[in-house]
Amino acid sequence: MTTLSNNDIACAIYLVSKDKTHAELHSVINKVVRFFVRKRLLSKTEDILSRLNKIINNENKKIIVKLLSAKKLKEEIKKELISFLRERYKAEEIIFMETIDEKLLGGIRVEVNDEIIDLTVKNKIKKLQEYLIRKT
Amino acid sequence: MSTNYIVENLKKEIDNFSSQIKAEKVGHVLEVFDGIAKVSGLSDIKSSEMVTFPNGETGVALNLEEDTVGVIILDDFSKIKEGDEVKTTGKILEIPVSDNIVGRVVNALGVEIDGKGVIKADKTYPIEKVAPGVITRLSVDKPVATGIKVIDAIIPIGRGQRELIIGDRQTGKTAIAIDTILNQKGQNMICIYVSISQKDSKLRKIQTRLEAGGAMAYTIIVSAGSSEPAPLSYIAPYAGVSIAEYFMDQGKDVLIIYDDLSKHAVAYREISLLLRRPPGREAYPGDVFYLHSRLLERACRRNQEYGGGSITALPIVETQAGDVTAYIPTNVISITDGQIFLETDLFYKGIRPAVNVGLSVSRVGSKAQIKAMKKVAGTLKLDLAQYRELEAFAQFGSDLDNVTKQQLERGKRAVEVLKQPQYTPIAIERQVAVLYALTKGYMDDIPVDKIKEFEEGLINYTENNTKNFYKEVIETNIWTEAGEVELKKAIEEFKTNF
Repeated sequence: MTTLSNNDIACAIYLVSKDKTHAELHSVINKVVRFFVRKRLLSKTEDILSRLNKIINNENKKIIVKLLSAKKLKEEIKKELISFLRERYKAEEIIFMETIDEKLLGGIRVEVNDEIIDLTVKNKIKKLQEYLIRKT
Repeated sequence: MSTNYIVENLKKEIDNFSSQIKAEKVGHVLEVFDGIAKVSGLSDIKSSEMVTFPNGETGVALNLEEDTVGVIILDDFSKIKEGDEVKTTGKILEIPVSDNIVGRVVNALGVEIDGKGVIKADKTYPIEKVAPGVITRLSVDKPVATGIKVIDAIIPIGRGQRELIIGDRQTGKTAIAIDTILNQKGQNMICIYVSISQKDSKLRKIQTRLEAGGAMAYTIIVSAGSSEPAPLSYIAPYAGVSIAEYFMDQGKDVLIIYDDLSKHAVAYREISLLLRRPPGREAYPGDVFYLHSRLLERACRRNQEYGGGSITALPIVETQAGDVTAYIPTNVISITDGQIFLETDLFYKGIRPAVNVGLSVSRVGSKAQIKAMKKVAGTLKLDLAQYRELEAFAQFGSDLDNVTKQQLERGKRAVEVLKQPQYTPIAIERQVAVLYALTKGYMDDIPVDKIKEFEEGLINYTENNTKNFYKEVIETNIWTEAGEVELKKAIEEFKTNF
């Protein structure tokens, strides 16, 4: 018998709770919790919920973008970035998680899911270093 | 060199540098253990794709699971830690290849390990490649002269053939392979010796022996030592055959030796178990047959339309207590075009090479023999088989008829003639002369203990007195009556003076 993966469970929870009213949702949640207890899945709850979050975001075309930069970004640059990301990931809603890291020296680094667009000075210097080593 | 010169050059190089902006797929290390890393993310990764770790270590994606990727690490994994960023490269694992690699000792990634400096290479070859198709192939009919009488006469090997060397430990498996390499001098053959999980001392001994015999001029050693991680032992034979393919693509003939595939299977079993793949018979994973079949299928002889060239493979498999019915030996026996079976009993009886003629076979057969050898060795296998049968029978009775006695005497001499010390390969034309004398009964009245002496003398005598015959055998590959008469006369002359 094939075992259910956390992703399968998250998918099933999403499907049963989709388009439900508040009252119906309450009963669904009750059932899900009872299912977790019965199948001894409580230890996996965190992972299942994070997967459920991803599925909901995906369905709602919402992306979470990790934005790393050496200093705070100007609003115009952010707006430009939003329009670029909207087009690239066909997203309707973009949530930024900004981090300031001076070690990046300059430029920005955008992380969406497992994709990274690294435009930082630190990365460019690293690539230049690799290039010069290769050349010698 | 002035500072200005360095600065100017550096500036020039920096001007030439341009970095492309691209989105990279990354993952993060979840766990690292025994040369294996479980990595999250890497959503678009391909099977066998190379990945890089932060400190420059290389890995290969082997297990593509729903959420994680199982990566085998090909370098020192002690610096890799949980949470490290792993990047895809978009490239399937490949190794650098060039003509400069000949005469060098390299590791499984094609990097030199002999301390003779970096090997400059402008080309790379993928480690995994689909074997050449039927249309591109040619049947095997050109011999590989091993210089070992018993093999060249009874179990001939052809260019493009896969002949397994199988036997217990300490029965002379590697010796056969090394003798074969030594005999390729001047035969227009590139040799590759792939050492899989062997002791470094053994490898060094082999390298010294090959250097002393002048064989390193056409040989490459690919080594994955026993102290290196299992993933390197796993990829070493594939790296070896990729180098072989590079030379075959130039129309050259290549001989590749895998020493040995039982250790290769063990390394793969280790990786598979660590990757939590389900174990099967003897704990080997289910695809252990495919592991060797896809490797050995890459040995072939190409037709002229596809550039000619060939790869002859001599895989070695070690058995435990002579058990050829174990999992890996039966697998490799069924994949290859024959096997040379070595026996401990024969080895300790002094019959060296300890080839069991009854169990050894070459499925290509006499097609891979020159005409002269075909002529003289045709009946040898049968003679030996009859001798073995009669030998057991004769132990119980003393009253034997003349025919049986004669067969026994001939058999004893055949066994004696086929004995050959290590590192003394004999040229094919000399073998023909000796085997002719044996099969035509010229040695029947020579005492068994004098056979070696007779053989040596005969080789020297015929070399000087049958020049036309030797020329025919080597250059034109024909067997004429005139040549036979010349040889017969020389043998008779030598025998009268012996």
